[in-house]
Amino acid sequence: MNTQQLRRLLCSLSILILLPLAGCWSSKEIENLGFIVGTALDLEKKDPDHNGHLLTVTNQFVTSETIGSGTKDGKTQQKAYKNISETGDAALPTLRNMILRIDKRAFAEHSKVLVIGEELARTLNLQQTLDFFIREQEMRPSGLILIARERASGTLESKNLVDIPAFQLIEMTQGHDRTTKILPPMTLTKIQGKLQSGSSFLLQSVSSIKGEIKFTGAAVIKGKTNKLSGFLNEEELEGITWISGKGKGGLVRSFDDEGLPIVYEILSMKSVIKSHVDGNRISFDLIIESEGRIAEHWDVSEKDFENGYLKRAEQASVKEVKRLIRNVLNKMQHTYQADVSGFGNKLRIEYPYVWEKVKKDWDQTFSEVPIRCEVKLTIKDYGTSDH
Amino acid sequence: MKQNSDPEWFTGDFAIDLALVRNEIGHNSDVHFREFHIGGTDVCAAIIFVEGLTDRELIDKHIIKSLMMSFTGGAVSRDFITNRVLSIGEVAEEQALKSLVAKVLTGSTALLIDGLPNALVLGTTKEKSRQIEEPVSEATVRGPRLGFTETLCDNTALLRQHGENASLSFMKLQVGQRTKKELVIAYIKDIADPDLVEEVKKRIQNIKADDVPESGYVEQLIEDNYLSPFTQVQNTERPDRVFSALMDGRVAILLDGTPFALIVPVTFSMMLHSPEDYYERWLPSYLFRLLRYLAAAISLFGPSLYISFVSFHQGLIPTKLALSIMGTRDGVPFPAIIEALIMEVTIEILREAGLRLPKQIGPTIGIVGGLVIGEAAVQAGIVSPIMVIVVALTAISSFAIPQYSAGISLRLLRFPAMFSAAVFGLYGVVLFALFLCSHLVKLKSFGVPYVSPIIPDRLTNWTDFMIRMPLKKIKRRMKPISANGSTRKK
Repeated sequence: MNTQQLRRLLCSLSILILLPLAGCWSSKEIENLGFIVGTALDLEKKDPDHNGHLLTVTNQFVTSETIGSGTKDGKTQQKAYKNISETGDAALPTLRNMILRIDKRAFAEHSKVLVIGEELARTLNLQQTLDFFIREQEMRPSGLILIARERASGTLESKNLVDIPAFQLIEMTQGHDRTTKILPPMTLTKIQGKLQSGSSFLLQSVSSIKGEIKFTGAAVIKGKTNKLSGFLNEEELEGITWISGKGKGGLVRSFDDEGLPIVYEILSMKSVIKSHVDGNRISFDLIIESEGRIAEHWDVSEKDFENGYLKRAEQASVKEVKRLIRNVLNKMQHTYQADVSGFGNKLRIEYPYVWEKVKKDWDQTFSEVPIRCEVKLTIKDYGTSDH
Repeated sequence: MKQNSDPEWFTGDFAIDLALVRNEIGHNSDVHFREFHIGGTDVCAAIIFVEGLTDRELIDKHIIKSLMMSFTGGAVSRDFITNRVLSIGEVAEEQALKSLVAKVLTGSTALLIDGLPNALVLGTTKEKSRQIEEPVSEATVRGPRLGFTETLCDNTALLRQHGENASLSFMKLQVGQRTKKELVIAYIKDIADPDLVEEVKKRIQNIKADDVPESGYVEQLIEDNYLSPFTQVQNTERPDRVFSALMDGRVAILLDGTPFALIVPVTFSMMLHSPEDYYERWLPSYLFRLLRYLAAAISLFGPSLYISFVSFHQGLIPTKLALSIMGTRDGVPFPAIIEALIMEVTIEILREAGLRLPKQIGPTIGIVGGLVIGEAAVQAGIVSPIMVIVVALTAISSFAIPQYSAGISLRLLRFPAMFSAAVFGLYGVVLFALFLCSHLVKLKSFGVPYVSPIIPDRLTNWTDFMIRMPLKKIKRRMKPISANGSTRKK
């Protein structure tokens, strides 16, 4: 063997050796992973000898064992998920402590939902709590953020063995196309801007009642402190959806003169906020337009296709929508003193100089601003019935 | 002048000449010598022929009978016999023993007559050919059912028969140094680049081999890069395919004794095209072609993508799918690469076995093998069901490629792709693809870039590339191939 052949042999050998040496290091088989599909954050009260706050992180794991046992028949069913909680004073060290307790490598790239407990949201700045989750590369930017009434870990429990609560929460938010009682989803990427901007905003709130999860209105996060200041119930959330005009469907239930229900189904909605500045006086006009159909009415004597009746039905619905809006505006302006519907943003766009002056104390200013409200509903359609 | 002393030359003396021939080929059992007297006279004559290669009826009726019975008077002279007696088409004279023997061994009959200085060679060759049948390796639903046969003159005739074209030219060459074989280079005179024809001719003349049994030999001996996994010469059994290649300005090589004709130069896209693409309307053809490119991609990268997703990039799989893959892989003892290798090798063995089996057993093995792989292996927990799907899809995809030889190179390359996926994940797959691309871009087939019309990019030729535009829109020939006639309609 001459030197050239030897050199060639050595060259190819070293490539062959280098490949497995340099490669494979990041290889991890899918069945050895524990997918974190949901995370719940709670504040721990029982901490007598600790000055700071203690966090409890609950991770919902889905592993090959929990999935496999769900599909194989003939076995006694076990839960399709595994919740593991750990307590510590910051998010990552707590998460890393979980390594001591599970055989799988935690893998958060399929993390779907992050539920924050009421207590935690009231006490700590959300930006602090979420810092790790926004910073971490493995977290999905599309992960959803919810606020739990009471403890967050409860929302990741389910009575039904085959269900995975984190997925249920995700799928429930899809319902926001068909009702005005659910907020559009707030993801990890979107919340960054909200937290930085200093303006108040809403997060979907969820509660767990006897092992069943339910969306219950919205949580109001004050822009100044980034802390939870209170909740809006479902009816108030309906008002918010009308103000924002972002609803894609839903119902308005009103009553006619005889007290019988008329149900207006929303086909489209549009809202325009106009700001006015007159000297130091700031005011807003809110114009809402919507098209819809009569989905249900109980007054058998009335005829749908008579214009008179349609007008009356429209009037009744308008009254109801106005009531909803008034109701929530009252709550926003007086109870929480938080502008969560983008009135301030509109002022910023239309009167930037005025905004510069008022933005520091906007939530305070907002509470005294008059808002005129105009609602126009059009009934286009009354379904496949003529009475 | 005649050299009487040289034993290689005929003397005119019947006994000596006959002994000379007998000495040369008389030991062969299939060579027949028939001695007789020319009708009415005492002139001795003999015919020598090879049994089986010659037409016995022709010899009996038109040579022996004419010479023995119809010889009515006249002198036994060369002119008289060739002009008046032998009712046979092809008559030639031969002086040298060597060339006479060569002709006799290819089916002619030699006639030696006492007193005549030269031997006569009579064309009595009977072509051993089979019926023209539908090509087995390239079946189409629509299109001519003709396929080449093993006989060269039949094959050239098939091309001539395609349509009257005065420019269709055949150039006859001989290959093989010990066993001489006839080979024809076919091209269209006013379309094909003369340099290309010259290059093909030169490469074929440079072939140094004792024997060239099949056109595969020619292919391997004239291709540009023998280390490349891609075939740089296309082979086909279909005359229509050859003809359309000729009309593109390509050159075809037909070898005697094989139904596979060769087409050069070749581009990669040709491997994924079928003649049917042009026979069907453009819309289905357009979609089928896209489908074939997709199948080629799956057949090359299918298992390697699976490996990189399952072992490296689990975050890229949709969550529900990731969960179901995770559930099915529960209890599988091997990492994804081993699992994939087991399945791929099994299916290759199965395919190889099925290829050589008699027709009656083939399907049985397919079913048994399929069941063993698909059902039992999953039941036993050796592989996961998803892997079976991936492997099956890959195998089917590789059969969707119309050119068998192109399918082989993709199947071959699948294995290095799998290894690079196992080592570096998707990054490795991308590296491998880049490596492959750089090789393809460098590769040339008879001076034509292998991946044209992508590189060099000629948008005018994209009308007939990954998609097939309506025939009315395909107006130009591939630029790098045809030198002059770039427009199809003249």
